[in-house]
Amino acid sequence: MEITADDELALEHEALIQFVYMAPAGLVQARSDGEIVMINPVAAQLMMPLSHDGDLANLFTALEDIAPDLRSRLAAFTAPQGMVCDGVHLPAPGGGKGERRLFSFSLIKLDESRVMAMLQDVTWQAQRERLLRHQEAWLTAILTGVADYALISLDARGCVADWNESIGRVTGHGKDVVGRSMAVFYPEDAITPERVQDRLHEAEDSGWSLDDGWRQRADGKRFWGSAMIAPQRAVAGGNPLALALAADDDADGPGFCLIVRDMSGHRDAAEQARHAAVCDHLTGLGNRRAFFDAAEIELGRWRRVPRPLSLLMIDVDQFKKINDAHGHPAGDEVLRHIAGLMSATFRQVDVVARIGGEEFAVLLPAADLASAQRVAERLRAALEAQPAPTEAGPVQCTVSIGIATMDEATASVDALLKRADDALYRAKHSGRNRVCGPAMVAADPG
Amino acid sequence: MNAHLALEFAQPEILEPLLAMDAAELDTLGFGVIGIDPDTVVRDYNVFESKIAGLSRERVVGHPLFTVVAPCMNNFMVAQRFEDAAASGEALDVTLDYVLTLRMRPVKVQLRLLSGPLTERRFVLVNRKV
Repeated sequence: MEITADDELALEHEALIQFVYMAPAGLVQARSDGEIVMINPVAAQLMMPLSHDGDLANLFTALEDIAPDLRSRLAAFTAPQGMVCDGVHLPAPGGGKGERRLFSFSLIKLDESRVMAMLQDVTWQAQRERLLRHQEAWLTAILTGVADYALISLDARGCVADWNESIGRVTGHGKDVVGRSMAVFYPEDAITPERVQDRLHEAEDSGWSLDDGWRQRADGKRFWGSAMIAPQRAVAGGNPLALALAADDDADGPGFCLIVRDMSGHRDAAEQARHAAVCDHLTGLGNRRAFFDAAEIELGRWRRVPRPLSLLMIDVDQFKKINDAHGHPAGDEVLRHIAGLMSATFRQVDVVARIGGEEFAVLLPAADLASAQRVAERLRAALEAQPAPTEAGPVQCTVSIGIATMDEATASVDALLKRADDALYRAKHSGRNRVCGPAMVAADPG
Repeated sequence: MNAHLALEFAQPEILEPLLAMDAAELDTLGFGVIGIDPDTVVRDYNVFESKIAGLSRERVVGHPLFTVVAPCMNNFMVAQRFEDAAASGEALDVTLDYVLTLRMRPVKVQLRLLSGPLTERRFVLVNRKV
């Protein structure tokens, strides 16, 4: 029997249909209002358990529970075509007895009237990746360039659960440290009670939390160290150290495992690399990038647990005149002098950065408007009282400071900066050398 | 005339008469019939189902249903039901509203899932909603 061109086309068509039936990713083509035009089986497999009405008529309706903002995201996407979202992770309920799933979702605008969506179940990939990162963090924490380390088990609130010799060796603390917050291992101004909770939350969420910086021994001596926190529940399955430390049934629920490493000796290299990436070369304060990175993290924490968070914008008054009158090297020395006063004024937990030529920003976690005003005023007064020593002799200089405090209405770092900037503008225009809060009459220091 | 040919999608006690039918008889039915073995490999695939899905019997029979033919049923609403019934040794006969992606169009259907504790063959019946 002869195979006609029509037969061939029909066979190809069938093969093509099966190809899309078998495609291991969910594919949907829809109109811009979400009405589904074409959908393949994997898309239906993933979306049917989410659909309230047992219907797959509309893409946006079917995904409403896990991505309620799809309509508005598409509406806000003004380009004629392109990627509206690319592989965003959407947590989804498992359905039935199944555990929660994680979907990867992409939405492509084809033109004004059509979109294409891709949906994949990436639960296992995400778990594997997490496990890998987890193990990497553990290995780094335990094996890399350590002078010594202490293994400390913490209860659910972050307090030391019991004492062992490694704690005594590395931190110098005796058994009386049991029951005290892990903040005891940090210099006084390097951590707040809220930050302890943040670290525990982060450890809970991602399996670990790691930070490098100054640590403090019982006798007050500081050492450069790193602290790794991991939830005991999450690590008990795979990690012998954590298993060994795992506390018995605790009324407060499972606790955490803290490893404090003494990194003395490795500090210089690590610190130099870190310094180059995040520090302003002139003043040694944080640079613009470091500021924005830290600010994003702080805002993320604020969204999870809203609590006081303030921002200072600091601008040197008449800086151009100082440069013109005393020369640029003197100008640089003025900036360094101010940076020095700032380092002495703010806490280690504060994020202090030079974000422009003569402009500084300071993020103050756990500081409400009143305490932000107090510390800003302290800096202003200290500078007024201490002229900057320069090659050209002492140079009298002042700063204006604008303050903004984080609230529900502030959606982003930029929005917070804008509000602090507005306050700074008011401080400048009401006579300089002063501190202004949100839409408030500037107090005259003189 | 064979009494089997009068089978309706919703009629009770349908498993026994289905088991008695050969491929040619299944082809006369006015609803889709997919028969699978305990490993979920497709053994029966009638003309009705073949036409609405756009796949010929040759492409489907001998392949695992939930991965190659109808991944859309591979979730707790369908595939899990068969596993649960097999694990508990109970008969399964449930009808549910579902959406199949027949030739990539979302099509509302009724699925009837059938299995018996003593038979190896299980069925997914597909009824197009009007």
